[in-house]
Amino acid sequence: MTRTEFWQGNTACAEGALAAGCNFFGGYPITPSTEVAELMAAKMPKKGGVFIQMEDEIASMASIIGAAWTGARSMTATSGPGFSLMMENIGYAVMTETPCVVVNVQRGGPSTGQPTMAAQGDMMQVRFGSQGDYAIIALCPASVQEMYELTAKAFNLADQYRVPVFLMADEIVGHMREKIIIPDSMAKTPRKALVKGTLPFKPDADLVPGFPQFGKGYGVHVTGLTHDERGYPCTTNPKLHEALVRRLVDKIESARHAIADFDIINPDARQVFIAYGAPVRTVQQVMHDRPDKNIGFLRLRTVWPFPEYALAEFKNAKCFLMPELNLGQMAREVERHVRVPVVNIQKLGGELHTPAELVAALEAHR
Amino acid sequence: MTFDDWYRQDRLPHIFCAGCGNGTIINCTLAAVDQMGWKKDDTVFVSGIGCSSRAPGYIVTDSLHTTHGRAIAFATGVKMANPDLNVVVFTGDGDLAAIGGNHFIHACRRNIDLTVVCMNNQIYGMTGGQGSPTTPRGCFSTTTPTGCVEMPFDLCELAIAAGANYVSRWTSYHVKELEKAVKVGLETPGFSFIEALVQCPTAFGRRNKFRQVADHVEYLRAHSLLKAKRDRLIEAGEAVPDDMFVVGELARRKRPALGVKP
Amino acid sequence: MILAIDETRCKGCNLCTKVCPYKIFKEGKKPNRRGIVVPELDRPERCTNCRLQQLYGRTLCGVCQLTCPDQAINWIEEQPYELKKVAIEY
Repeated sequence: MTRTEFWQGNTACAEGALAAGCNFFGGYPITPSTEVAELMAAKMPKKGGVFIQMEDEIASMASIIGAAWTGARSMTATSGPGFSLMMENIGYAVMTETPCVVVNVQRGGPSTGQPTMAAQGDMMQVRFGSQGDYAIIALCPASVQEMYELTAKAFNLADQYRVPVFLMADEIVGHMREKIIIPDSMAKTPRKALVKGTLPFKPDADLVPGFPQFGKGYGVHVTGLTHDERGYPCTTNPKLHEALVRRLVDKIESARHAIADFDIINPDARQVFIAYGAPVRTVQQVMHDRPDKNIGFLRLRTVWPFPEYALAEFKNAKCFLMPELNLGQMAREVERHVRVPVVNIQKLGGELHTPAELVAALEAHR
Repeated sequence: MTFDDWYRQDRLPHIFCAGCGNGTIINCTLAAVDQMGWKKDDTVFVSGIGCSSRAPGYIVTDSLHTTHGRAIAFATGVKMANPDLNVVVFTGDGDLAAIGGNHFIHACRRNIDLTVVCMNNQIYGMTGGQGSPTTPRGCFSTTTPTGCVEMPFDLCELAIAAGANYVSRWTSYHVKELEKAVKVGLETPGFSFIEALVQCPTAFGRRNKFRQVADHVEYLRAHSLLKAKRDRLIEAGEAVPDDMFVVGELARRKRPALGVKP
Repeated sequence: MILAIDETRCKGCNLCTKVCPYKIFKEGKKPNRRGIVVPELDRPERCTNCRLQQLYGRTLCGVCQLTCPDQAINWIEEQPYELKKVAIEY
């Protein structure tokens, strides 16, 4: 039996994680994501999992990576300033192909910025923040229901592709209370185990190697240094390094169609909104107020890897309108893929766009 | 079975310089681990970045070579998620005391069931000999070309003050004592910290009048003051020599511990 | 059992010459193929561990092995002792 609740986004996130079988949470308090950690602290031990409050975000990211290697489904939650601290170990998780989930309830930046106001200022940092070339998966929820569902989905994606998966929520979605329908159970993708006797970092056909869990007799050496298929450091071989980094990127980029999650509304429209996260709600309001076949909407749930092929669905598009709570971070990515103008409707300060602002942009670029 | 069985034979010889004491400390640690009768499948070695932290790569068990200073934070995750695993952390003075200082004191405070072996060579060896938080006053390094003017850290005192259950210090000369100390550390529930002073002929000895490896080891031997002897000196009201460091078991207690195997 | 230095691992630091209580290890004189001066063994049959470790069933001293930073010192099985024919000339 499904049940209905009236929950905050952060509550839904924690509940979604528990429903997905999350059994390790390493956290550090930071507004506006603290509720996730609070709920995990209360509920995790009852479900046989482990909650630990670490000394900083660097350590909480480190602890979830360590826990992931023992087979746990591990997760942490943070906001912008903590996310910056995590960058070091996020790079480590990418290099060592550690499945884990990081929730970032974004707030106004740079630096400490606006702790209780929303922003989408970490969209570039999540993709490019750590050093070197890599690829990750980032999901953006726009409602409390999606907070629940995408958190659970993030664990499956992490286990399937052995990569840190990011839930890039924002303060509005995190602190908003709304109705949520809770499904009976969530689909769970098991982590593909390493076949005994094969090399621990030798990829299968999908470019993802099997997972050699600690304590199971694999005797695997995990290192953030450039490593060969045995897992041993091999830092001065240019070909090996290139092959490794290309594989780490390709395993995500080549699966972009399988990972992508988006809705297309009115594909024949001339003016097309593109939105992710909280601005989706304003666009939905505008679409509701003006039922017009000439206003299209690309509604993204997967932001990275960016599903650029979805843009080609809008064949008649004369311009793309992109409301974002930043100075155009994803708009730049859209611009790379289209030939028509991309109008970035920027908003800083922590409040959502009003429908009137979007309508004004529609009128201005008709 | 001897400690040699714990090495990945296909990876030896290791990358440490000739005369580096790190290999000695790994021998002693593995000898202690071997005596514990632990299975290789149930043992995990974790390390950060630096010379000392290359150690787990030479050991056959599951091992995690992590980011600079974060070894203890990673080890906390491993131990908390699966308390059945025996987790040993290799770290160095720069890794533990400088960039990882916060993780170190908090692991001591939590008293999590880890054994941390710190190879203190008093210098950043892998980057070519920069001054570290434990470089003694007056010693030369590439970043202290006129002699170090800062006071060094006493890592053992720090661990005791922060709440570790077992703390001891030995040097690379005292191999048998070190082996026993690591074994006691492995047996002790809660956080065990073993500091091992090691010679670094390439980065430290070369700049500090230890031309030969043996000279540096001899210095470590001659300047180590047994804890019992220090206590006797204090009792007799005599002065403890400034240039000596205390070796021996410095703390053993039974504070409540975290992550102990149920 | 007999004491042996693995020349493929030894880096010639000569720490073994310092720690052995019987002074079995002596500084070498000639560099080997890798350019490393490997210590020489001076009458290794004096080593207590060589003689007694099988009798006692445990490592007796072993300080050289523990100290060797390069894991180059070990005890290996002795080759079967071959009787030498000595021609006695009258």
